This record gives sequence, structure tokens and C-alpha cells, in this order.
Amino acid sequence: MINTGIVFKKPLALNAFLKNGLLILLLLFSSLSFGQTAEAEANFAVCKACHTIGGGKLVGPDLKGVTERREEAWILRFVKNSTEFIQSGDPVAKQVFEENNSIPMPPNNLTDEQIKDILLYIENGGKVAGASEAVVEQTPKPAQDELESTMILAEKKQAEAQNLYITFIILSVLIVISIFDLLVSKILKARWIHVVIMLISVVVIGEIVFLESAALGRQQYYQPEQPIMFSHKVHAGQNKIDCKYCHFTADESMHAGIPPVNVCMNCHSQVKQGKLTGTKEIDKIYSAIERNKPIEWIKVHNLPDHVYFNHAQHVNVGKVACAECHGPVEKMDQIIQVEDLSMGWCIQCHREKEVQFADNKFYDQYTKLHQQIKSGKISKVTVQMIGGDECQKCHY
Amino acid sequence: MKYSRLLFLFLVPLLMMGCKKDKNNPGYNYMGKHDMYYTKFYKAYSPNPLLPNGMTNQMPAEGAVARGKMPFPYKGSTITDRAQNQSLAGLELANPITSNDAIVQEGKEQFRIFCSNCHGLQARGDGNLYTSKLFPAKPTSLVESYVQNKPDGEIYYVITMGSISGLMGPHGSQITPENRWKIIHYLRHLAK
Repeated sequence: MINTGIVFKKPLALNAFLKNGLLILLLLFSSLSFGQTAEAEANFAVCKACHTIGGGKLVGPDLKGVTERREEAWILRFVKNSTEFIQSGDPVAKQVFEENNSIPMPPNNLTDEQIKDILLYIENGGKVAGASEAVVEQTPKPAQDELESTMILAEKKQAEAQNLYITFIILSVLIVISIFDLLVSKILKARWIHVVIMLISVVVIGEIVFLESAALGRQQYYQPEQPIMFSHKVHAGQNKIDCKYCHFTADESMHAGIPPVNVCMNCHSQVKQGKLTGTKEIDKIYSAIERNKPIEWIKVHNLPDHVYFNHAQHVNVGKVACAECHGPVEKMDQIIQVEDLSMGWCIQCHREKEVQFADNKFYDQYTKLHQQIKSGKISKVTVQMIGGDECQKCHY
Repeated sequence: MKYSRLLFLFLVPLLMMGCKKDKNNPGYNYMGKHDMYYTKFYKAYSPNPLLPNGMTNQMPAEGAVARGKMPFPYKGSTITDRAQNQSLAGLELANPITSNDAIVQEGKEQFRIFCSNCHGLQARGDGNLYTSKLFPAKPTSLVESYVQNKPDGEIYYVITMGSISGLMGPHGSQITPENRWKIIHYLRHLAK
């Protein structure tokens, strides 16, 4: 194990060899005196489930100073197979077992050297000697090109809307000026210029008014600031957590569901610090639990109350992927509504999208359509064919 | 001034400047709260001034068992209680679902969603959250004898209530009972 200790530091040692021979000696000495390796840290990850080093008792006892309390041979036997050891009648082992609520420690398939290595690691206070630099280098830098897509999309659209307003204002001013010139100041003698300017302005303003009134009540590109700076890019993108891990009612209920804090705590009982926000944002979860107050998330995707939408129908039965309506959520730091959720958008999908008819128990009763598919009369079934564009399916 | 009345037309565009788009603002709608657009009932996740804890979503009454569901009387707060209840659940609970290929596939999908982040797709304890060093403790391998030798009921207990160490949180609120049993079938299938 001492050998691997040196191997682990090889790049460091090589680097130092070029600069200063003395450093190699120092490194050699340090690794000889500590002796433990990165492997010990990896192996200790299993122990961490129940033990701490100086962090107090979890399920099993705190392992700080365990090498002073017990003999090495005793520890070796206990770690390898504690149940066997206790049954063999060792009084100390039995006492330890009973002190810790009689919860057996699972057997570990480790060699003597590996366990001794872990013990050195414990003596060292849970640190691999000289490993701190290596760890720092491993933290990934956020890729610049990943930031684009959604943020740009949102800003582009917001800028577009801004442009529409500016155009509207300029054209209104133009109309007013040309009317004023036509009736009062009469600077331009050619009257057709006034007419052309006014006609163009009226058409364009009409277009803008149409677009804006169509967008009334729709909330495309709505991107509210949430009470916690929760990033879907980190959780769904980088950590690859499935959407349904947190939005677990999407399969069963009309609502996709906002996760209760106990779902956050599945990970954040251990992960207490974010890479970008530190403890500030994660602490808000803990304070919500402490005060027993729900976190007031702001709903982004709103439908008017005269429309019925059901997640279970679309996600569970229809097997529609979340991203088809919600866009590339795994790239969004802050959730933005990508689609306009208008009725036209709904109906278009209902007319074009193929229903997953095969191996879908929900659609078993549509025997006529099944027969038509079999006989080759139709190639696919759309939502429209099973009543997806009837008014009362969504409005009732 | 003869034409002073025309001046107010210049004010219109200035007023329009007020309609700046804000990403925090969901925008306007025709009738707002006064029509069927947003009616006055309390939505599932909206705050509710009428109920004691201020939420519309309420927990079922303590001890209530939904029709057709199995009760789960093994709660416990202290470590000793939970260790006892876990072995009790192992003795008393039997998997109500019989395994077949379709059930294993469904269990696999549920396992992928709820377990694979930590335990890995093959349940070897090598999930993405651990291998990328985001979660500090090593998840248990579920295909080795330590877990596989436990009865179904104990595994069901751990999924529902979390591990005794507290490193695995309770997943009872997220996974439906049927799906928990299906996940267990998948685990048994993996170890074969």
C-alpha cells in the first residue's frame, strides 16, 4: 500500500523532480509516514453510511481514536464480519453491538492491508495526505456554451417584444406627424406621401395590435424569480435526476406536483453547500422545515380555469415526454415558459401527433381503430381520431 | 391654441412606454379575475386562508387507510424503533404482486426514476450522484447478499421509511406502494 501511495503522487513528484530534488525526498517521507492512500478514502465511503470521524455517533459509533480504544487485530475481525465475531462470544464485540442498538454491521470484503489503510486514514482525521490539491483541480468549470440556448431564447423574445413596442410608438408618431402636416403645417406638397406613410403605419400597427391581443392571457416567456434560486440545469441537467423523481405525481395526477421539502432532503440532508450559491439557498430548505412553512414557489405554466389539462393523461397514458411541452428544462437555470400554451398549439399537436396505440392498455377498447390499423386502412392514430378535438374534452 | 387638442395624440405613445415587458410579469388577460379565466376556487397548490395550516393540499387524517390500500403500521422515530419495525415488516409483509416480465420491466422503469441516481442502473451502488462525487456516502450495492438476503418486507420498509443510517431518505411519499413492490421484483430479477 505504501507503493501505491507513491504512485498516487507520481505526477507531483515528477514535477518536483524537475524543479527540486529535495521535494521528492520530502514527499517520499510524508507518504511513508502517513502511508494511506486515495483507496482508503474510497473504501471509507462505505463506512460513512453509519460512522463519522469526529462528527459524533450516527448509527454506529464515532470512529475518532478507534485505534487507541481497540487493538488492531480486534478491529480487523470486527470489520470483516462483525456478526460472526459477536457470535463467537467476544465480550467487547458483544458490548459494542448492544451499545449500538443491536444493529448489525454488514460484513466487508476487504483485505487486512485495506483495513489498516482505512485505519491510517481515520487516524489522519479523514484526510488523504497531500490530496487536497488534486481534489480542487477536479471541480468542473461551467461550460460557457451551455449557457446559451434558453437564456438567449428568452432574451431574444423579450427583446423582440420590446422592438414591437418601439415600432408601434414610432409608427404612431409618424401617423400623427403626417396628419399634422397634412392639415396644418403643409410642408410636404405631395399629398400621396402622407397617404402612403399612413397606410403602411396602419397596416403594421394593426398587425402589432393583433399579435399583442392574441398574446393577452398567454404567458409565453414568463420567467418569474422563484423564492429559492433552484436550478433545473444543475439538478436535471448536470445531476441527471429524472423529472419524475421530484414531480412524482405526473404519472398519477392531474398535477405534475411540486416536491415537498422531504424530497429535497433525500439529498440535501447530506449536500449542504451548492457550488455557486454556497449555503445561502440550500439553507432556505432547512429554515422552511424548521418553521414548518411551505416554500411558496411561483407557478410558471398557467392555464385559464376554463381549460382542463391532465398530466396523467399525457405523461402516463400518452407517453408524451416532459420536454415536448416544457422545452429543454435541463438547460434552464430559471424556468421559463417556452411554449405559448394557446389553444391552437394544443389542437395542432392533437391533430398531428401519433397516439402510442400498440401495447397500451388504456386504448384497448378502441377495437374499431385497432382493426383498421391491422387491415392497413390507416397508418397511424392521431389524438383527433379518438376525440381529441372535441370541445368538451377540455372545456366543460 | 387652435390645434392644442392634437397635442394629446403625442401623449399616447408616451403612455405606451409603460407597457414594458417584464419577465416577472405574466402579462394581462381579457377579464382577469372577473371572468372564467381565473375563477375563485382554491387550486391544489394555492395558499388557503380557510384551513388551519394555510394550505389547500391537506394530509389524510392520521391513521386513515385509503380504500383498497394496505395500512403501514411500522412508523418509528428512534433508531431502535426503526430497527425493530424493519425486521417486523420483514416478517409480516409479503409482496402482493406476482412477478412476471412485464412487472419486472415496470419495476425497472420505477427503479430508474427513483433509485438509479444513487444506486446505479444495475443497482451496484455506483449511481451518477455518487460517482460524480456529489453525494458523499457510498450507496449500498443492492445485488449483493447483504440486501438480497433480506426479506421483501424489509426492503419495502427501507424504501418507504429510508435507511436506518438516515443517509437514504424516506421515499414513501414519492413511490406508490405497488411500484415499491415492483421495484423489489426488479431487484430480485437483477440478482438472478
